[in-house]
Formats: sequence, structure tokens, C-alpha cells
Amino acid sequence: MATISFRGVGKRYRNGVAAVHGLDLEIAHQEFLVLLGPSGCGKSTTLNMIAGLEEITEGVLRFDDQVMNNVPAHKRDVAMVFQSYALYPHKTVFENIAFGLRMRRTPEAELRRRVLDAAERLEITPLLERLPGQLSGGQRQRVALGRAMVRRPAVFLMDEPLSNLDASLRIAMRAQIRHLHAQMRTTFVYVTHDQAEALTLADRIVVMRDGAIQQIGTPDDIYERPQTVFVASFLGSPAINLLEGELTSEDGGLVFRRGALAIPLPPERAARIGRVAREVVLGLRAEDVGGRDSGPTLDGRVDTVMPAGSDLFIGLKVEGLDVFVRVDKQARISEGERVSLPLVGNRLHLFDRASGRSLDEAA
Amino acid sequence: MSEPVRLAPPTLPRLLRGAGLAVASLVLLLYVLGPVCWLLSSSLQTEREIVSIPPHWIPEAPTLRNFEAIVATGLGRPLPTAGPDPASGGFIPSTAANLLPAMLNSLVVAVSIVALNLLVAVPAAYALAKIRFRGRQAALYGILATRVVPDIALVVPFFLVIRKLGLLDTLFSLIVTYLAVTVPFSVFILTSFFEQLPDDLDKAARVDGCSRVQVLLRVFLPLARPALVAVGLFAFLSSWNEFLLALMFTQTAASQTLPIIVASFTSDFTVSFSFLNAAGVLAVVPPVVLAVLFERHIVSGLTAGAVKG
Repeated sequence: MATISFRGVGKRYRNGVAAVHGLDLEIAHQEFLVLLGPSGCGKSTTLNMIAGLEEITEGVLRFDDQVMNNVPAHKRDVAMVFQSYALYPHKTVFENIAFGLRMRRTPEAELRRRVLDAAERLEITPLLERLPGQLSGGQRQRVALGRAMVRRPAVFLMDEPLSNLDASLRIAMRAQIRHLHAQMRTTFVYVTHDQAEALTLADRIVVMRDGAIQQIGTPDDIYERPQTVFVASFLGSPAINLLEGELTSEDGGLVFRRGALAIPLPPERAARIGRVAREVVLGLRAEDVGGRDSGPTLDGRVDTVMPAGSDLFIGLKVEGLDVFVRVDKQARISEGERVSLPLVGNRLHLFDRASGRSLDEAA
Repeated sequence: MSEPVRLAPPTLPRLLRGAGLAVASLVLLLYVLGPVCWLLSSSLQTEREIVSIPPHWIPEAPTLRNFEAIVATGLGRPLPTAGPDPASGGFIPSTAANLLPAMLNSLVVAVSIVALNLLVAVPAAYALAKIRFRGRQAALYGILATRVVPDIALVVPFFLVIRKLGLLDTLFSLIVTYLAVTVPFSVFILTSFFEQLPDDLDKAARVDGCSRVQVLLRVFLPLARPALVAVGLFAFLSSWNEFLLALMFTQTAASQTLPIIVASFTSDFTVSFSFLNAAGVLAVVPPVVLAVLFERHIVSGLTAGAVKG
């Protein structure tokens, strides 16, 4: 059983730079929580603070009810998988996996049983006598997972564990990690900058930027209801289209205007927003076209047509901006053509241009 | 169709450059190996053969009597044979009996220096390489700065301290001072090596349940074997060859080391070159044996940290 609680936690270096500040977060027992953000956002620092590898300079960190701020790493019941795998080069795969158990004086028979069991589950039994230098990236990755697994820790930490793998292996390992979480029934905290990993694996995602939390929510929340322009732009592939413009009140409804482009908002969206005549940013995901024909439309000239296997993406020039949208694969669209694409009005995201915060949230 | 690639014939400047390099290499080789070869050859010659002109690089009548004489004087036994030739005991130096005890002294001091160097430098280097603490950089530079001071400048202060402590003419005085002189370099080499090892290894071991000391003993030390060998060998050689401090702090056979005794062989009225060179050969043997045994580790250890991995 391990819930993890951050109360006003921060990490400030001696030169005054704050890697993390004002962190308030509750991680539930058996939850799979993903810390997501760009390089330098503080996600690895947060993970290291949970592991006891980074000193906490502000606030309180608790595991269940126990304050952990000054508990050294080796006395916390956590296991960690590193981006570099960090296998001990001089020890065999067996000894690498067994090392944590040896440090905890696990009886030899039990140790052997657990190592062999983990090896079998990860399909690395034939590799047990090899040294890490003789393994491929994927095999090392599985050994690193095995080393953490056998410990049966209260908290399982992963710091970008799939970053060094090639794309196909990464997808296979995602499934394995998800499976591992289901089997182990323990708390997982996973750091990544890869939104696809976060969306696939997480029960909840914490999006971080500049050492602070931007948004906490389920993958669906984060993707469908981003609270800031940053969150909206960090998730989604291709990236969300952001169009700066004005929100005006016309005929009792709200209309987003940018030059000649006018997108009337559905009445229920207008009611949630309430305020008008302000500078806004409209967020439009590539897949948010193809609504009913009677709804708002996006008009522009087709600049590029990019078939991508199962999808067809087109690049439009809209009021001087490049906008990428996904259309029906069967659509017959050619470059240079002017098109008018129906939009899904309820899926449009509106943000205050000055603060970058969602207008839906502010209302 | 492309023309087959032809190598340009060597030009005269290239040939001259090659010849120049070969000659320079040969001169350097002779310069380095010449004295060693002569030492070895002359230790197997009689005194008469040594002083013959032209010198014999290969002994005409090789003899081990010089070595027998060293063992005999050291053990207080009668010399192997008597006769007019120094090699057979004609001119044995007055301090010859101290040679074997001095060798033992040198060995005791050198082995102690190796052990203590590792004991002190390993934890210091690990801390400097892997633990971020206030004053870390200053500590590293401070340790290195002590090596900027030449040994000769330290002799008098060292002497005064050693005398005040009543440690003159003891092996302990040598161990203490050699340690001060060798530890900074050992710390530097080991710090460079530990810095090369990924921080994640340190973190992984701590999460796996190791205290800092256990990380050092169970993970870093086994990986640092080349650096440990290099540092150990450096400490051994520094101690084995040291002359200046030993000359100041030792007065009797109880504490005199090999360089002091060998040097004293030249202070008699008559110098026995054959005996002196046999002693020289004995002095060279332990470092050479160590260097040959650990040759594989020495280069990788000494170049640790030279380039970013």
C-alpha cells in the first residue's frame, strides 16, 4: 500500500534556480501516474524526489502517512527503471536482477525463485548468465524491468524507460509495462516526454512545465479539455492548430474572427464562455473537421496533401496561417484547390491570449 | 569508366621525414634502454671486466657472485669466495649488510603507501565525483594545488614536524610524508575515473538498497580496477624510488630504504661497480614485476578521464 502525497514540494538549487516549485499532488495506491512535459520541466526531478535521490528543499512528501523528506533512497521501498537502464556492467543478468534482493538479505532460495520467475515473465531466461554488454537495447530494457520487478516495491518509478528503443519495440514494451502494472498492482510513477506513451499508459497524467504543474487529469481530460495553450499544444499529433483572433458577440451568439475567417460557436459553448470581445487563441485539432454540413466551416486554400497510410492530412492556408487537418482518406482534394471544411463546433478550444488559460475553465 | 586510384610515389621530403623519425626513435630507444642494459650486463660481470676497454655489453664470463655477495653480507654469512676481484668480495661496500634490510624497509613502506593511498583516496574520489556538496570544486582544486609545491620546499617543514613528533629514523615518518605527497595524485586519477561512470549507476544502486559506502564497495570498486591498479602502481613506484625525504628522515639501518643504501655504496673510498649494479638490478626487479603483471590496466587507468566517454 502506498499513496504518495506532495504538499507544496519544491527543489531549489544553491544558485537559486528552482527545478520544481509549489508541487501539490496526490498519487493513489495502485495508480499509474505519468509525469509528462518537455525537457527541463522538472518531471525527472519530481521522480528523483520520490526515489530519495534528490533533496527536497521545500514542502512535505509523504508515503501514506509517513514523511519521507529525509529518508535516504536505500530505506525507501521503491524500485526504479532508468532511461540508460543503469545495469551493473560487471554483473551477469542474474546478478543484476538479484542485486536488490541480496541487499535486502532475501534467502537464496526465495531470491532464485523470484529472479527465475521474473526472467520467465520477461522472456530473458536464456540471457541470465550474460553480461549487460552482450545484450541488445531491448534486452537490457527488460533486464532493468526485471531488476525492479523482483523487489515487489511499494512504488515503481520509471524515468523515460523506453526512450532509447526503436519505434516498434517501444510500442511492444508499452503493452508489457501496462501488463506489468496490472500484474503487480502497485503504484507506478512514469516520466516521459512522449505524449503517445502518456496517453497509452496513464490512469492520470500530470503535465508539467517550468517546474510547475500545468494540468492533472485522465488522458481523456488532458486531450479533450486542455486547460492551457501549452497543454493543448503539447498533446496531439500533428500538433493542435492555434489561430489567434478575436471573440465577438454577434446576433446573440459568439463568433471567432480572424480577418475574413468567422467561426460561430455553438450556443452551448457560448453560454459556457459568457464573456466577449477579447483576444483569444482558437485551438483546432487535426481531427476536428468533418462535422455536420450545417455547422461552422474552415475555409482555405489547399497547400499540401499528405497521405499517411490510414489517414490523409492536408495543409491549408487560412488567413496567412498554416493549418493541418485530417480528412476522409477517400476525399479527392488537390493542391491549390479552395476548400470549405465543416468543423465540429463542440471540439473547438478557446484560450485567453494573454494568460493562455482555457476560457471554458475560466467561465 | 573511372580511372583506377594510384598511390603517389613517396616524395623525397616524405622519405627524409620517415628516415628522420626512425633515427630519432632509435636514439630515444638507446637513451632509455642503454643504461638498463648496461646495469643488467654489468651486474653479471667481474669488476675487472666492467672496467675493461672497450666495455663488454655481453659478459665474457657471466657470474652470479655479485648477487651471492649481496645475499651473504645481508645474512651475515661468509662471502662466497675470497680473492682480489671486487665481485668475489674484494671491495664490498661498508654498508652492504644493510642492503637486504633496506629492501625490506622499502617494501614495507611501499606496500603501506599503496594500501593507505587506496584507503584514503578511494572514498575521497567517490565523494568528489558523485556527491554534490558545498565546496566540492574548491576541495578538488585544493588537493591538486598541494602538488604544485615542489618536494624540496616541503622537506624542512616536514623535518621539523617529524622531529617534533619524535618520529625521526622510523618507517612511520616515511609512510606519513609519502602519503601526503602521493594521495593528491591518486585522488585526481580516481576522481576522473569515477566521474566517467554514469550517475545512474550510483542512483540505481542506492534505490536497490545500497548505502553510499555499499555503492562504493559493491558497484564502483569492481568497475574501477584499472584505475586502482594505476594508482597503486604509481604510489608504489613513488615510494620505492623516493630519495630526498628518506635521506632527511632516516639515519640507521632500522629505517633506511633501498635508494639510501644503494647511494651510500658510492661514498666509500673504493666503489665496487659490480656490487653496485647487482644491487641496482635487485632494486629494479619489484617495480618491473608489478608493471609487467598489471601492464594491461596501467594505460587505461592513467588515461581515465582524459577524454569524455
